[in-house]
Amino acid sequence: MPGSMGDVRMMKPSSDQVVVFILAFNEEASIGALVCETRAKLPDATIVVVDDGSVDATAARASAAGAWVLRHPFNLGVAASEATGLKYAKRGGHRIAVRLDGDGQHDPAFVSELVAQLSHADLVVGARSQDAKGYRATGLRLIGARYLAFVTRLLSGSRITDVTSGFRAFGPAAIAYFSEHVPNDYPEPESIVMAARAGLRVTEVPVLMRRRETGASSLTFLRSMYYMAKVSFALVLETLRAPTRT
Amino acid sequence: MHRSSVIILIADFALALMMMHTARRRRTSERLVFGWLIVCAVIAALAIWREAIDVLAAALDVHYPPSALFLIAFAGLIAIVFKLSTELAEDRRRLRRLAQELALLSATAPGPQKDRDE
Repeated sequence: MPGSMGDVRMMKPSSDQVVVFILAFNEEASIGALVCETRAKLPDATIVVVDDGSVDATAARASAAGAWVLRHPFNLGVAASEATGLKYAKRGGHRIAVRLDGDGQHDPAFVSELVAQLSHADLVVGARSQDAKGYRATGLRLIGARYLAFVTRLLSGSRITDVTSGFRAFGPAAIAYFSEHVPNDYPEPESIVMAARAGLRVTEVPVLMRRRETGASSLTFLRSMYYMAKVSFALVLETLRAPTRT
Repeated sequence: MHRSSVIILIADFALALMMMHTARRRRTSERLVFGWLIVCAVIAALAIWREAIDVLAAALDVHYPPSALFLIAFAGLIAIVFKLSTELAEDRRRLRRLAQELALLSATAPGPQKDRDE
């Protein structure tokens, strides 16, 4: 296969190099520009796109823009995609991995700020800053985010204000842990609880979120309420499981 | 023998045959078919020995014997559905790991690539 790596275990370990993995599902409209922007802002980083079973040209656009591409044969969801990116980092011997979402909400310019916090944390969350000028959650979304942050804090003790943010940096311990322990259904808030229970240090840094470049939110009032109930249940369930250590 | 018993026995026999047929064509596993054949055997026993339903109802303190039968059937179905739910979850986990391994083993380097459908 032209350009095939064959086996990532054959990669030369480059522990100093940051892996930025971008989760993408049918993002052909935005993925090329996002990869180019990430390359421009982080020229030393290895950029990997985890294509979660897209049926459009996401993989081809990402590859042409200069990213390694890992393609799921079918859609597995955000949690599994994140784990695939972390498995890549772990097998390649990388000690730092950063997750971006393929819809363009996460600005690669903030990656260095997240990575800097890894000196005293295992998992760093890029939290939507409510004081800054970027995209801010409003109305129902804001209430939901605060509610989930409250529940997460209650169950794990983590003082993370934006538990639904997928903009994250992982240190070696978090890479090892989350490449093997995959949250079930609601990866962002669940993983905060899992990390706390596994003894990982979790912190957050304020970042500016951009409006998604493509697609639209499917959340309505009823769906939001249903989502909150399901996530709350999943978080409570997580605390009932036997803790898994790193 | 009551006519209803004969009808139930014929239907039961047909169900057992259908199960054997699906197992022979490998559309289901022997392990599952064996369980279904036990269910067929129990149905046949109850069709032949109808008083057993009264005995069961008395043992369960159910005043209307057919209700006891429905209760047992319902409990059996719940158990089967629960078992299938756990197996489905386990299969999903295995499938996810396989798909992840496939993605990692077929990672493609940066450069012009063909679209998936091409």
